Amino acid sequence: MAEAAHHHPQPRQYVTIAIVLAVLTAAEVGLFYLEQGVEAVGQSLTVPALLILSALKFYLVVAMFMHLRFEKRLLSRFFTVGAVLAGALYLVTLAALGAVILF
Amino acid sequence: MADLAHGRDEAPAHHQLTGIDNRKLGMWVFLSSEFLFFGALINNYLLFKGRDFGPGALYPVELYDIPFTSISSFVLLMSSLTMVLAHSALARRDQAQARTWLFATALLGVVFVSGQYFEFAEFILHGLKLNVNPAASAFYLLTGFHGAHVVIGVLMLLVLAFKSVRNGSLSEAEGLNVELVGLYWHFVDIIWIVIFVLVYLIQ
Repeated sequence: MAEAAHHHPQPRQYVTIAIVLAVLTAAEVGLFYLEQGVEAVGQSLTVPALLILSALKFYLVVAMFMHLRFEKRLLSRFFTVGAVLAGALYLVTLAALGAVILF
Repeated sequence: MADLAHGRDEAPAHHQLTGIDNRKLGMWVFLSSEFLFFGALINNYLLFKGRDFGPGALYPVELYDIPFTSISSFVLLMSSLTMVLAHSALARRDQAQARTWLFATALLGVVFVSGQYFEFAEFILHGLKLNVNPAASAFYLLTGFHGAHVVIGVLMLLVLAFKSVRNGSLSEAEGLNVELVGLYWHFVDIIWIVIFVLVYLIQ
């Protein structure tokens, strides 16, 4: 465990990542209120921005807190395949059922 | 004799055909499959959130308290930090700090679940019961199952923390358990990252 931890970030780096995550969350909430308060800022602008911000947060937690970046490739493949297949499957289902997904 | 003494202290051997401990590999496979589980619930909610259920129908989106949910999200996000700090402390063999961070993570999990309980209670008071319409059912199903995952995580964290208190330290084998519980906990966090945006912020 100590050997594995050698490659992992140090506590200070974890705190920095957490601060970045908090800032990204604040930006998400800020975008939500911007869309509610300013008519000119429509969903076509905020929705992609919100998705990008949440994808960034997702990546940071998986790569740094779950240490996937430092693990063997097999684990990354398992995780990525699971996530991508699930995402693709449900996007197709939603599209087939004619749901108003995001816009 | 020497072998016996050595064997007694060591964690049980686990097959590592892939070069990765099978328990760890199993956890990652389980988490990958959880994408399908939560994907189905998110899908279900997205399908119903825009539907018209007649005049006077109440929708979850009308009752969302974004500042409150934002704070809950922040709490869960910070619990990921305390979790990774527990794991890091254990890797440095700092048992006292690892124990503190485990308790802190469990506490933040309890705060998050309490917030969810408060949210549900508020919604029900306003008339948004589980069976009023499919959108409400889908909302409770999704966020309720996520909350149940958090509760299971809190229980696992408390078991590890109390074991550490009782034995004075966590063994090498239990160190792997901390890592596995940590993976589960971070997964619960990333699912909330997705729910927070798709369910609460994109209306």
